[in-house]
Amino acid sequence: MEQYILTGSNLKKLAENLLILESNKGEASWNLISVSEDGLQYQKVMEADKINLNSKAAPTKISFKEYFLPKSETLFYFKQNQNDVELSDSKLTDKKTVIFGAKPCDAASVPALEKVFNWDYHDDFFNTRVANTFIIGLACEYSDEYCFCNSVGLSQNAEKGSDIFLTRQNDDSFLAKIVTQKGNDFVAAFKVFFSRMNEFPESAGCMKSPEKESLAQSRKFDYQSIKKRLDKNFADGFWNTAGELCLGCAQCAFVCPTCHCFDIVDENCGLNCGRRAKNWDSCQFSIFTKHTSGHNPRDNQNKRYRQRIMHKFKYYNDKFEEILCTGCGRCSRGCEAGIDIAGILEEIEQLPE
Amino acid sequence: MNDLIELSKEMLTSGKVSVILGYTEDKITKRIKPVIIRKPEESEKLVFNHYAVNNLAVYLKNLKKLTKGKIGIVAKGCDIRAIIALIQENQIKREDVFIIGANCNSVVLNYDDKWTPESSQSKCRTCQLRLPNMYDALIGKLEDITFPPSDKLTFIQKLGTMTTEEKWDFWEEQFSKCIKCYACRQVCPLCYCEQCVAEKTMPAWIDSSATTRGNFAWNLIRAFHQSGRCIGCNECERACPMDIPLSLLNVKMGMIAGAKFNYQHGISTDAPTLVGNFNTDDKEDFIK
Repeated sequence: MEQYILTGSNLKKLAENLLILESNKGEASWNLISVSEDGLQYQKVMEADKINLNSKAAPTKISFKEYFLPKSETLFYFKQNQNDVELSDSKLTDKKTVIFGAKPCDAASVPALEKVFNWDYHDDFFNTRVANTFIIGLACEYSDEYCFCNSVGLSQNAEKGSDIFLTRQNDDSFLAKIVTQKGNDFVAAFKVFFSRMNEFPESAGCMKSPEKESLAQSRKFDYQSIKKRLDKNFADGFWNTAGELCLGCAQCAFVCPTCHCFDIVDENCGLNCGRRAKNWDSCQFSIFTKHTSGHNPRDNQNKRYRQRIMHKFKYYNDKFEEILCTGCGRCSRGCEAGIDIAGILEEIEQLPE
Repeated sequence: MNDLIELSKEMLTSGKVSVILGYTEDKITKRIKPVIIRKPEESEKLVFNHYAVNNLAVYLKNLKKLTKGKIGIVAKGCDIRAIIALIQENQIKREDVFIIGANCNSVVLNYDDKWTPESSQSKCRTCQLRLPNMYDALIGKLEDITFPPSDKLTFIQKLGTMTTEEKWDFWEEQFSKCIKCYACRQVCPLCYCEQCVAEKTMPAWIDSSATTRGNFAWNLIRAFHQSGRCIGCNECERACPMDIPLSLLNVKMGMIAGAKFNYQHGISTDAPTLVGNFNTDDKEDFIK
């Protein structure tokens, strides 16, 4: 696919263009999402200056998945009219969204999640959001002891999931590589901001290319060999203490770019009306598998922790030939009990094949 | 650290305790994290330093169910307040635990911060329990450290001067970040209910959705349930992945309990609890 140069000043102009107010609605024509200044989350930005493309920053504390799978999403509304119940759809906006500067370990989660949201049921909510969102990935120049994207088949330069992939050059400009047809359409629509390579003859040959440069990150394990171990060792004694220090919150699942379990609840908005909502849920909660009878098949945290690992590295792989992990390390960085998933996986790699 | 390791070996070898709940350094991440030691020789793993942030009392109730004999627990002064509170609230017995009190020279807020008096937690800066008030053995040595003032108390004073609308706006912004992961509840040694009010479905007292309404309901109900009970370990705030300053609520409620009832939780195992006790001289007339 084609490559362009996106200079810092053109980036700002592009963002200003996307933020032009639509006269009839009084709001910006596009949603712009970028990393918040405090590094906590991906946030909606209202000013072009707030686009944050710091490739050397750590991953945000929470991934960008809420833009595809909101933490609470209304499926429909209901209202009681005497003996009748009136249902009304929850309307999804068709407004386009651009996510600027997605880490490769965030962007890669979207194709992985598309599999399950288009398996036996096509989830309109998820698919509409994906279709309306352009992901501009940014080659990552950060690595710490929690990162392990190299161990799950990705890298700091992985383009998976991005529509356009940026690589920061030595100055304030970016090499912009088109990855998908969607990315191509985006550049075509805003082509005045994207310069062709031949307009920068002086820099030809010294461009940092995404394929060549990658930060050193030692591989911690091989996810394919983990799969082989998990196939055989469901009942291994290893699991009896694997989750003994896990406190059973859902921090790991909720900051994770790929964890996607949800609960469906009805909530009132008044005496005769309410909404049905889809809320984030997690297999680490004890009530996740609690039956109405009171029986709980995963009755301790060790079993729940095994489920977390099995779903990510075995079950999802069995079904969709993808794994539910991008190696971002958020779950470990944020774990209040200091549990490091890469360390657990290294131990699993020692189990018999 | 030798005193801790030797003590642990001796206690496990002699069978005075069945397990030691302590801190160790992760081999890869180098983070100081909780560990359960079951064999005397594993005691070598134990460490205690400025990075031993976790309040290990949170593990006691469940670990007690799985353990025959005593649990040895490495605990800072603030953690011991949680142990005393658990005894006061009849969740564990004094004889269930062997408390290895640690002379504490303060801990950092984030694992990855380098320790300095300035990077120490707010709770440490005004701590009166660096030398624990109850223990069965004592480790470490107190150092003379000059701490900067507690930024938390300063902030609580500032919040106190805000109008109701300004306070609402502040908390609305903070709670809007909440994702209902319940890390605050799970990491709290005093959130030990077998079934949390947030899990009740018939009726559902609290919206489980992470919406403004659901988030206010959850965070405020938790603050009420902690009133006069929170022992100020700050674990909820540390655990919060969304950086919500939860301890502002709990510290403030504790200040009110102190001012109105001259009560501090987790100081004496014999003291009746604030909400589990009544006084016929109470200024409210509902008791008569």
